[in-house]
Amino acid sequence: MSAIVLEKVYKTYHVGDQEIHALNGVDLRIERGEFASIIGPSGSGKSTMMHLLGCLDTPSKGKLEICGHDISSASSNALSGIRNREIGFVFQSFNLLARFNILENVELPLIYGGLTASERKKKAAAIIKTVGLEERMYNRPSQLSGGQCQRVAIARALVNDPEIILADEPTGNLDTATGQNILALFKDLHKSGRTVILVTHDPRIAATTPRVIEISDGKIVSGKT
Amino acid sequence: MSFFLCIEVALREIWAHRFRSLLSMMGIILGVSSLLTTMALTAGIEKGMRATLQQVGGLEGLEITDKELVGALQDFWSLSPGRTIEDARAIKASAPLISYVTPEIIFGAKVGTYGNGNADGYTITGCWPDYMQIKNHELAAGRFISDLDDEEGHHCAVIGATISQNLWPGKPPIEVLGNTIFINDIAFKVVGVFIRYERDYEKIREKTGSTKASAQRREKRGLITRPNARDPFSWKNQAVIIPYSTMFYEFRSGLFPDDSLYSYRMNALEIKVKDINFFDQALDQTRAAMNVTHRNVDDFAFNTKEDWVDRIDSSVKANQISGGIIAGISLLVGGIGIANIMLASISERVREIGIRRAVGARGRDIFLQILVESVAIATIGAVLGIFAGIALMQLFVMISPEQNSPILQFSSIFISVGFAILAGIISGIYPALKASRLDPITALRYE
Repeated sequence: MSAIVLEKVYKTYHVGDQEIHALNGVDLRIERGEFASIIGPSGSGKSTMMHLLGCLDTPSKGKLEICGHDISSASSNALSGIRNREIGFVFQSFNLLARFNILENVELPLIYGGLTASERKKKAAAIIKTVGLEERMYNRPSQLSGGQCQRVAIARALVNDPEIILADEPTGNLDTATGQNILALFKDLHKSGRTVILVTHDPRIAATTPRVIEISDGKIVSGKT
Repeated sequence: MSFFLCIEVALREIWAHRFRSLLSMMGIILGVSSLLTTMALTAGIEKGMRATLQQVGGLEGLEITDKELVGALQDFWSLSPGRTIEDARAIKASAPLISYVTPEIIFGAKVGTYGNGNADGYTITGCWPDYMQIKNHELAAGRFISDLDDEEGHHCAVIGATISQNLWPGKPPIEVLGNTIFINDIAFKVVGVFIRYERDYEKIREKTGSTKASAQRREKRGLITRPNARDPFSWKNQAVIIPYSTMFYEFRSGLFPDDSLYSYRMNALEIKVKDINFFDQALDQTRAAMNVTHRNVDDFAFNTKEDWVDRIDSSVKANQISGGIIAGISLLVGGIGIANIMLASISERVREIGIRRAVGARGRDIFLQILVESVAIATIGAVLGIFAGIALMQLFVMISPEQNSPILQFSSIFISVGFAILAGIISGIYPALKASRLDPITALRYE
């Protein structure tokens, strides 16, 4: 079974009287365990693509399946559930909650998964250990470096054991060396069998993944299969 | 997200913005404290009025007064002997629903002891032994006047605690018994002394040994506190009671040549109903008995205390309404304050909401989180309001008349906290709805 299936997906935004076609009949299939990057200049529909893959939005037309769930017409609550169980997000700007410590940040998806406090803590602590930050467990994000923050974000993405890791410009706010470390971490995740998708505008980063999907003007230009 | 976690997150959020949260609580604090104080003040006023009512004999006690005859009926006036001791005897003999009856003669006189004080202005009451029950009197020592005293016209008197203290300072009631007092220079033997009548909390205050705060302040300023300065029961504490017949023969006979004990028109005739449930029937019996003595001339009326009770109820209601309106407005303003702060808070936390949505929070999780936060602010405000209200009440205890001292009731705490929480819920709904409807994508992009 494929992790992600898009069939003739359209996404249209209305800005005033204007219609903006962000995606124009996209067909795409990403298998489980694939390591792919989505690349394209700004305005190409890359972000829209990521929102759809991340179940943050639904297509205007066409069929979208994430891990076997048809989300073309899913309710907001159903989307929340899929985001919670099947998808782990990693953002460019980390998006950690400043008022909570690292452990609590990593626990966040588990809170909405309905686990008890002790289960949450156990699971989150284990994941933090795998990204090598067990020493900083009770620190606030502001006390951590950018690379460390991104590790926390990755730990948060992993904590619910999702099928898909979706990273939006994960190295964009990091220096090259730290960026390489983070990319290595994604490679490790891929090796452990997860589906990892990087969204980026940087061809050098895209080049590190086995499959590169290029988007332009709301259409997939290359890497369809 | 579990409910308890919501509370924890809410409390952290409130703590992170301590000062802002406190400001937004201000309206609730004011509302709760004013609601609490109003209810306590009203309860105090009500209790004061009811205590006073009880001291004059309660609802069961009532007075039979003269009624002026109007129009053509005036011609019959001379047919009736008016209210005399015969009425009291008739009621006693033929109105079984009336438990106590007493005729009364009242006049002002000098009271003193041999060689000590001979102060004017005391009210002397001549009555039957039933007077004790009708006026809810209690004895500290000795006995009340008896039927024999009345039959034989004994020169005996029962006196109030204030008189006892004035004439024999420092002597306990038991030592006052047997002494002689002079009423307009006629000697009477003290056979009984009443207890000091005071309000419940004054008794408690005496037991615990603390003195009145007001008295302490007066002393500090070098003022003397008169013992009965604000005694609401001074009329009882200064009572001098003697037998009815003694009263008549010593002080009232011979004023008019025709007067006898049986034809003398008394000052007051008071009765006490046995059972309040048969109030009207008791009055009917009394009326029937008095129609005989008054030869069917309708020249008497019943002065019941029902309108007194109505007055208490209506003034309590008026107080409650005015206080309730003030408190309601404060709570409304408080609720608006909370809504305002919650709106500010969510627009600050749009990104956080986006993150929470991205990792799987449903709209209702966000809704609950914001609502719980708003209710938490209101609840903390309510708790602070209770303390503020209690402090305010202490102030009122010091400045309000003592018989109306506020009383803090637990029910009023529950009511005011309940209203505060309600205000929190109502004011939280709109911000929570707004937050829960935020689009996750927009929220995540928000800078």
